[in-house]
Amino acid sequence: MSLAQALFMGLLQGATELFPVSSLGHAVLIPSLLHWSFKQSDPSFVPFLVLLHLGTAGALLVVYRTQWVDIIKGFVTAAVRGRIERPSERLAMLLLVGTIPAGILGVFLEHELKSLFASPKAAAILLIVNGFLMLGFEAMRRRAEARVAPAASTRIEQEESFAAAEQISFKAAALVGACQALALLPGISRSGVTIGGGLLAGLRHQEAARFSFLLATPIIAAAGVLEIPQLLSSNVPIVEYLAAAVLAGGAAYLSARFLLRYFRSGRLDPYGWYCAAAGAISLALLTFRP
Amino acid sequence: MKGNSLAIGLVVLAVVFLVLAGLYYEGVLQIFVSDSHAAHHTTHAVLFGVLAIASLIGANFARSKKAV
Repeated sequence: MSLAQALFMGLLQGATELFPVSSLGHAVLIPSLLHWSFKQSDPSFVPFLVLLHLGTAGALLVVYRTQWVDIIKGFVTAAVRGRIERPSERLAMLLLVGTIPAGILGVFLEHELKSLFASPKAAAILLIVNGFLMLGFEAMRRRAEARVAPAASTRIEQEESFAAAEQISFKAAALVGACQALALLPGISRSGVTIGGGLLAGLRHQEAARFSFLLATPIIAAAGVLEIPQLLSSNVPIVEYLAAAVLAGGAAYLSARFLLRYFRSGRLDPYGWYCAAAGAISLALLTFRP
Repeated sequence: MKGNSLAIGLVVLAVVFLVLAGLYYEGVLQIFVSDSHAAHHTTHAVLFGVLAIASLIGANFARSKKAV
């Protein structure tokens, strides 16, 4: 992989990890469409992905630095006390409950799912599926809005009728967390399905995005940290990879900032249409272009 | 009584998870792993370690509920 390719992949990973458009799907599709020779399945590619994920996790930690301090304090306090008394303690326990199903499914199914669906054509088809999932989530949300906030005159008013992340049930948190495992399929967006799951659980769009990003941080960071020994023992161009990771972190930071502002009143629809169109165009190119 | 039984059950579960974490780390358990020749399955060990901690927290919650 050349330096330019590494930097491009860093930027792509950082930007698409948090947007509901599937980073893995783009990482499988774009090199294939551009006829780049490196393979995602190559063992030497793992250290590269590890660094990019650490860059993204680092950006999320920076975005939510004060909240993470509260969450960690709340986690320890509630765990020792055996009772939840503050919103930050409840959020910490919701994140634990949401992380467990994703962790179990991820550890036990990752290898099988990735080897089954790692082809660019499968990624293109799943990207189309992801698009329709996003549109489906919004269609269901519009029905809920008509029921919950029929008199609301603006989007902001509509959104205010829904809940904050700390208020969802533990069952809903577990379901949203389990949705993360779908993102092992290249083309299905982790943030997309968790934001969609959050919307179904009755969260405001912005809160669903916040819960999704908070839920992603421990898993992305743990997956990266666990691969560090392999990274250190491998003979990889570390400076180039680090530059790509910094770029991924910068892109993820800006993406998170943009999305949290966008979801004050924005919806998943544009990303749904984008995924459906990008998946269809990619599928056509992969099928009809030699 | 119900809270107490649940707390005991969760502590037992935590011990089971800790044993599984140890077995995966030592490479004794080779079930559901991508590389069956690896000496350590750190990811699996960490997962079961987290599950053990979560079970202990659950046990503490169940015990406290009973006390109230």
